[in-house]
Amino acid sequence: MMTPMVQPFRLLGWSVLVLGFCGAAFAQSRDAELFEKEIRPVLVEKCYGCHSSKLRAPMGGLVLDTKAGLKSGGNGGAIVVPGDPAASRLLKALSYNDTDLRMPPTGKLPDEKIAAFAEWIRAGAVDPRTDAAAASSAPAPKRGMDIETGRKWWAFQPVAPVAAPHVRERRWPKQKIDYFILAKLEQNKLKPSPVADRRTLIERASLDLTGLRPTYEEVQAFVSDKSPDAYPKLIERLLASPHYGERRGRYWLDVARYGEDNPTSEATNPPYPFAWRYRNWVIQAVNQDVPYDRFVKLQLAADQMPNVQRDDLRALGYLGAGPTYHKDARLSRDVIETLYTDDWDERVDAVSRGIMGLTVGCARCHDHKFDPILTKDYYALAGVFASTVAAPRPIAQVDPATEAKFMDTAQRLFFLSYVANLMHNEPGSKPEEAAKKSVKYTEEMYKVRDSMSSLKETNPELWAYLDRLARAPRLTPSAPKPPAPAASGSAPAETAQAPSAQPKPAAFPSRPPRRPAVSNEPFMQSVFDAGVWVDGADPDLTVPQVKPGVPRDMHILPHANVAAPGALAPRAFLTVLSKGDKRFTHGSGRIDLANDIFSDAAPLAARVIVNRVWAWHFGQPLVNTPSDFGVQGERPSHPALLDDLAARFIASGWSLKWLHREIMLSAAYMQSSHPRADIGDTDPTNRLLWRMNPRRLDIEAYRDNLLKATSILDESMYGISVDLDAPENHRRTVYGRVSRGRLNTLLALYDFPDPTMSAPSRDLTTSPLQQLFVMNSPFIEDRAKELVKCAEADPDPSAKVRAMYRRLFQRDPDPKELDLALSYLDKAPPEQYAQALLATNEEIFWP
Amino acid sequence: MIDPQPLSRRNWIKSISGGLGYAGLLGMLQDEALRAAPAPTLAGAAVPKFPNFPPKAKHNIVLFMVGGPSQLDMFDIKPSLLKYQGQRPSSVDLRTERTTGGLLPSPFEFKQHGQGGVYVSELLPNLATVIDDICVVKSMYTFNPTHTPARSLFHTGNIAATRPSMGAWISYGLGTENRNLPGFVVLSPGPGGGGLARSGFLPAKHQGTYFDDSFVEPDKMIRYLKNTELDKDTQRRQLDLVQALNRDHEQQFGQDEFLEGRIQSMETAYSMQFEATDVFDIRKESEAVRAEYGDTPFAHGCLLARRLVERGVRTVHVYYGPGQPWDDHSHISRNLKQRCPDMDQASAALVRDLKRRGLLDETLVVWGGEFGRTPVSESGDGRDHNPYGFTMWLAGGGVKGGMAYGETDEFGFKAVENPVSIHDLHATMLNQLGIDHTKLTFRYAGRDFRLTDVYGVVCKDILA
Repeated sequence: MMTPMVQPFRLLGWSVLVLGFCGAAFAQSRDAELFEKEIRPVLVEKCYGCHSSKLRAPMGGLVLDTKAGLKSGGNGGAIVVPGDPAASRLLKALSYNDTDLRMPPTGKLPDEKIAAFAEWIRAGAVDPRTDAAAASSAPAPKRGMDIETGRKWWAFQPVAPVAAPHVRERRWPKQKIDYFILAKLEQNKLKPSPVADRRTLIERASLDLTGLRPTYEEVQAFVSDKSPDAYPKLIERLLASPHYGERRGRYWLDVARYGEDNPTSEATNPPYPFAWRYRNWVIQAVNQDVPYDRFVKLQLAADQMPNVQRDDLRALGYLGAGPTYHKDARLSRDVIETLYTDDWDERVDAVSRGIMGLTVGCARCHDHKFDPILTKDYYALAGVFASTVAAPRPIAQVDPATEAKFMDTAQRLFFLSYVANLMHNEPGSKPEEAAKKSVKYTEEMYKVRDSMSSLKETNPELWAYLDRLARAPRLTPSAPKPPAPAASGSAPAETAQAPSAQPKPAAFPSRPPRRPAVSNEPFMQSVFDAGVWVDGADPDLTVPQVKPGVPRDMHILPHANVAAPGALAPRAFLTVLSKGDKRFTHGSGRIDLANDIFSDAAPLAARVIVNRVWAWHFGQPLVNTPSDFGVQGERPSHPALLDDLAARFIASGWSLKWLHREIMLSAAYMQSSHPRADIGDTDPTNRLLWRMNPRRLDIEAYRDNLLKATSILDESMYGISVDLDAPENHRRTVYGRVSRGRLNTLLALYDFPDPTMSAPSRDLTTSPLQQLFVMNSPFIEDRAKELVKCAEADPDPSAKVRAMYRRLFQRDPDPKELDLALSYLDKAPPEQYAQALLATNEEIFWP
Repeated sequence: MIDPQPLSRRNWIKSISGGLGYAGLLGMLQDEALRAAPAPTLAGAAVPKFPNFPPKAKHNIVLFMVGGPSQLDMFDIKPSLLKYQGQRPSSVDLRTERTTGGLLPSPFEFKQHGQGGVYVSELLPNLATVIDDICVVKSMYTFNPTHTPARSLFHTGNIAATRPSMGAWISYGLGTENRNLPGFVVLSPGPGGGGLARSGFLPAKHQGTYFDDSFVEPDKMIRYLKNTELDKDTQRRQLDLVQALNRDHEQQFGQDEFLEGRIQSMETAYSMQFEATDVFDIRKESEAVRAEYGDTPFAHGCLLARRLVERGVRTVHVYYGPGQPWDDHSHISRNLKQRCPDMDQASAALVRDLKRRGLLDETLVVWGGEFGRTPVSESGDGRDHNPYGFTMWLAGGGVKGGMAYGETDEFGFKAVENPVSIHDLHATMLNQLGIDHTKLTFRYAGRDFRLTDVYGVVCKDILA
């Protein structure tokens, strides 16, 4: 703009000089005004968030808060061509006409703003800023807490026992917990509730620790046992019950997003037929009170820990049966790579929210906007999962080298068989090429399989498994002539015959059936260390490259865009939590991650699990956001209590049974749950625990107790998953199959959490569809009939009614209830009456 | 003429009040204003109440053509396909995920229809008659070329198969108008619906309830709807006993939200048995109306969708399934000739019927699939997936009729003029329901989530 203005002055002398200069100055100031009035406010409000010199990695390498940045543009070159709006990419982006380039991403600007940008560019795109000033005056983009401040965040501080606070009512506390609870109540001028009646106590504790109500006789014995240690003895008995693991293990499975298949379960992400072995491991480990730190470490890295029993390798199902997305090999490299990064993201999310109470996933696209978590930290963790591959592992001990080879071969055969079939069955419009590829991959598949043929002798069940994975393409009437399989003669008989079988619709060669969704073959869902890369050399077929023993460090992917990788983010622990060297050096780094969580981040991990266990006991956590202990999470209602409990929990050797005792023997836990008129508006949501929280039973306890009431509950433990809808399935609900794609309707009806992601807590809703189940389902009708049968031996209607009450409610009916019963039974058959009892609130209530 | 006495909402309430339990009716009337509990926002303030401006539409119906229907054979007329038949012009990068051949012209004849002169192909003679109530958006685009992620994107705004469905978001924002019926209903023949109706991180009560519309008998569509052993009066007596016991129990325990809620919920369930038996029974429609829609699962779904929105259901998704029938990688002309007639008849009947009953103004109808198809051939006589440019249409709910909006390129491959993304579509749908899509948020895993993520622009050009 200056240049054409200056030149006339040389030619025409002073007057023109003055005029010209004035004109230039005028134009300058007018254009500057345009910038200040129309352009800069939009840049500040809409653009600096991603395009600021203050960001570590501005999006697209574009910086708009400096004059130099605006002028030079980003990775794609200049964005403004002064004087030529049509040629300026900035205007193209603003106009929203190009689907690949639309800015700002939050929505198109109003037309008059876009016009202002066009006008500003046309006038030469004057930018009156001076960079020093611009940089200092621009408001800083929103960003999270810096690392140094972050290290002081409450949830990351070391935990140590806290002295019990002073209380006035010194007779109330039974456990240290109670001093903290009572002190807060007294501060708020509230009194705790009286202790619950004995029947409620034994019901509450039994449901809490085993998910099963006590029998009438057990209640009677407890009610009449006046010895001071009757209640502690009850808690010990319940903790020792094998049903304890079934109850408390299921709570963990909510956090571990346990499922036995994938949300979509397509060709490349079929069900996990051995996932149930992971579930059984959880139940067993909880029963054995495996220290919580070891319990978690085994789930992350059992294959890399010393002194691990073979059985404990089942723990790796936590990773090996994690949700995975379908990857159609015909998609481009970028799409496939994105799908892999989504899988890894799922693992980062499950581990960080589930175990550390941190929303590390928020840092995938940019540094965390609130918490001291960098994008670099995110990719440093994601790299661990980019270096971890799922594969089945044999149950029986085999030598490590064979096992490693088996697992790698299994995942390779799976992929080779998939692409060989894909190219054969869906050849697209390059049928010749597809046929060639199908042959090539079929040959490779057999070659890979045959490289393991020594297993035939040594480990026939491993061989059988691999042999079944090697599924050659089959003939279909519409498909072109199938490729000849490997000429080596090593193909199994049925495929060797395939080429000679003419495509007659009636004469398909039979193939091994698809793998069942649930299987008791001797394998477990597991993982092994191998880096995964995506090979896009063939534009028509994208192939993953799995390199056993070679870990993969990821590059930072700003905005999670795989096409624009940034700096390398070596595998490492979260910066803010690390005490020393945070790099991961052992294999994938799973073992380093597990160790760091329970050393550097131990206080956080302890607080998170203590808060979860507290919530499972009281129906309400101390920290209301159990999977988010970050800045956006809530502060604890009783911080000193949480810290004290976490410190002593660690000192107990991370014993969950210790924690249950500590909580369940407290006066706070033993309170009655009745509502109280004197509370008023002081604490209507019971944050201060002036009473126990009454609850609705979850689906597991509800279904199990309906079965138990009529003595039909199958209490055998462990074993394979069973369909919950099968009428003959009388096993505990925890053994029902959990599908991520098609969640069982009964589970869904009663708020079972979505098993595709780690669940912080469960909803407990009440809906008419639940009541339709209660009123009309064969399940309830069957229970009603059984209940009548159970009371068959009782001589008269009153005795029958009493027998039913004892089975369902562990008490006798009161005179009014008996009256209602007898007058109802006068006119209706006993099954109708039994069903009414099954439908009552009392049956699903947990006081 | 077809239905001489169309039922207005008020008449309908009158007509059922005799047979409906007091609590059910009361619940329904109260629920006119019922909505979800507000969640805290970033600043800790309560979420604004929805609708946050006067809504054009109270209900929405999505007709979902699973598999990706071909825009080039139905709405997006492209003479260049014939002109350059079999060629691959270099002016457009026509590459998609699979290998494709040359340009494949549509064998179907296109004509302009209605006052607006919108082009419709001969495959859709019935939709052509109601085209003046329809806005054909020819410039849709999406971000993923594969069925599952693209479908997920259409239904949840994200390719990850974990996010809440738009129906769940709408239920979360607006609540339900009729507590006796689910607020979000999915109708699909055979196994289907599945995860696309999930509530994800939203409270579970917002999840879609799936019904199999290959049945016409309500008790086959709705699990446990009917008691096979007890008649209505016997069951009422049984329920009276349950409630008497419940009342005594609550009196002893003390006032409790859950205990009270379940007592109410039992009453609702009781009346729902009879109400749903009526609402879900399309056989209660006149012969003429049933004939107008047709007698296929999709026709049942469309007719049932009308009955449901009439009774206050907020969102109904009707799947044209089972499986993904519109995925025509080969034999596309033959397949479309088989599939279009019932789709055309039923969708057109729905628009016409809604209008006749005065419901079209308050019901937004959206038709489309997860993506469209390529102008070039696959396997000789098929078309590959095309996420870059495809057609959807909208009707009612304050959307302009008789209008075609946006353009694809010369060959119908990529949206070039007024492109509309899936997020834009969601933003527009929410807008018509009275919701500012940037304000409909839910705090989860440390941040506020939206159906439209950080995207979405309301497409004002198509609004009346």
